[in-house]
Amino acid sequence: MKSHDPFASDSASGTQPGLAPSSFEDSLRLIASLPAPVGLEDRIHAGLRASQLSQPHKARILAWPAALHPGGNWMQSVVLRSAAAAAIVMVIAGGGWGIYSRVQPHQPARATVLPSRPAVSGGFASGGAVRTPQTLAGPVLTHPATATPRPAKAAARPAKKLRRTRPASAAGKAATQPAAPAAK
Amino acid sequence: MSTSEAVFSGWMDIAENAAQTQARTIVEEETLAALVSQYSGTLYRVAFSVLRNPSDAEDAVQEAFIRVLRHRDTLGEVRDQRVWLIRIVWNIVLDRKRRAKTRPETDDVSELARVLPAHGLSAEQIASAAQHHAHVLACVEQLPAKERQVLMLSAFEELTSVEIASVLGITESSVRSRLFRARNLMADLLHHSRSVR
Repeated sequence: MKSHDPFASDSASGTQPGLAPSSFEDSLRLIASLPAPVGLEDRIHAGLRASQLSQPHKARILAWPAALHPGGNWMQSVVLRSAAAAAIVMVIAGGGWGIYSRVQPHQPARATVLPSRPAVSGGFASGGAVRTPQTLAGPVLTHPATATPRPAKAAARPAKKLRRTRPASAAGKAATQPAAPAAK
Repeated sequence: MSTSEAVFSGWMDIAENAAQTQARTIVEEETLAALVSQYSGTLYRVAFSVLRNPSDAEDAVQEAFIRVLRHRDTLGEVRDQRVWLIRIVWNIVLDRKRRAKTRPETDDVSELARVLPAHGLSAEQIASAAQHHAHVLACVEQLPAKERQVLMLSAFEELTSVEIASVLGITESSVRSRLFRARNLMADLLHHSRSVR
C-alpha cells in the first residue's frame, strides 16, 4: 500500500536546490527505525492481563445478564416476553390504583359558613346619621327679570365687532353678572 | 406451542446467547493479541521518536493497547487497524509530551548514545553520532508544531503520505506542503547552526 514515500524527492515536496536533506533525514530515519526492546510484547500482554483482572467487566453489579443484553435476541423468548408484558401491566395498574386511592372525588358543601368579622373595640358609631351634602348659595333675585329691548344701532352692528373691541375680562364679567334691572 | 416448549426454547435462547458472547470475547482477545504481536514494534518506534525515552515509549504503547482493550467492541468497525493504532499512540505521546514540558528536558545525547546501534563503531564514533543526531533533534524541536509532526511521521518508512494524513486528520496535500516547509526550515536551521560554529 506504499503509494508514496514522503521522503522521496519529487517536484511537489522537494527541498531547496543546493541543500542536502539527507543529513537530517538520515538521523530521523535512524531514530524512527530503532528496534523495539526485547520482551516488549510479553510485557504488554502481561499489562493487558493485569488490566483485565482489575476491570473484568465495565459494570458487574448493574450490568444486564448476558441473556438479557439489549444486543441479544431475548425478545424472542416467550417466557421473558410474557414476564415483561406482565410486569408492564402490573406497573400501570399499580400506578392507577395508587392515584385513585389517594385522590377523593369533590363533594359540594351543605352549609355555607361566613367568616366572622372581628369586633372593633373603641371608636364612635354613626348613630344612624346620614350625611347629606350642602347646597350652594346662589344669587337671589329681588325683582322678576324682564327682557329689555336693545337700541336699533346696537342691534344693527355685527356681533363679531363687539367681541373684538371688548376685553376678555369684561366679556366674562358680563356673562356672569345678572341682567341689569330695567330703567324706571 | 405448549407452555413447556416455550419455556424450554426461552432458556435455550439464553444459553445460545451466553455461548455467543463467550465466543465473541475469545475472538476479541485473540484479535488483540494479534495486534500486540504485529504492531507493538511500530507503535514503540512512533512513541520513541517523540518521547525519546525507552521506558516512556513503552508506557505509551501499553496505554494505547489498554485503550484498545476498553474499546474492543468496536474493533470490527475499524478499517485500517495499523493507522488507527498509530493515531491512538500518537495522541498519547503528544499528550505526554505536552505534560512533560514542565519537567526538565532529558539529555538526548546520552540517551541516543545508549540506544543507537553500535556494531563495529568505536566509543568516540558513537558519541559523535549521538551528538549529531541530538543536534538534528534539537533543530526539529524548533520547528512549528504542524511541520514538526509531519516531518517526524514522514521519517517512518512504514507510513505513506495518505496514512500520515489519516493519522493527523488532514489532507494529503496538506501533508505534502507541510513537509516541504519543514524541510526548508530544517535546512535553514542546520545551515545557520553550521555558520554560527
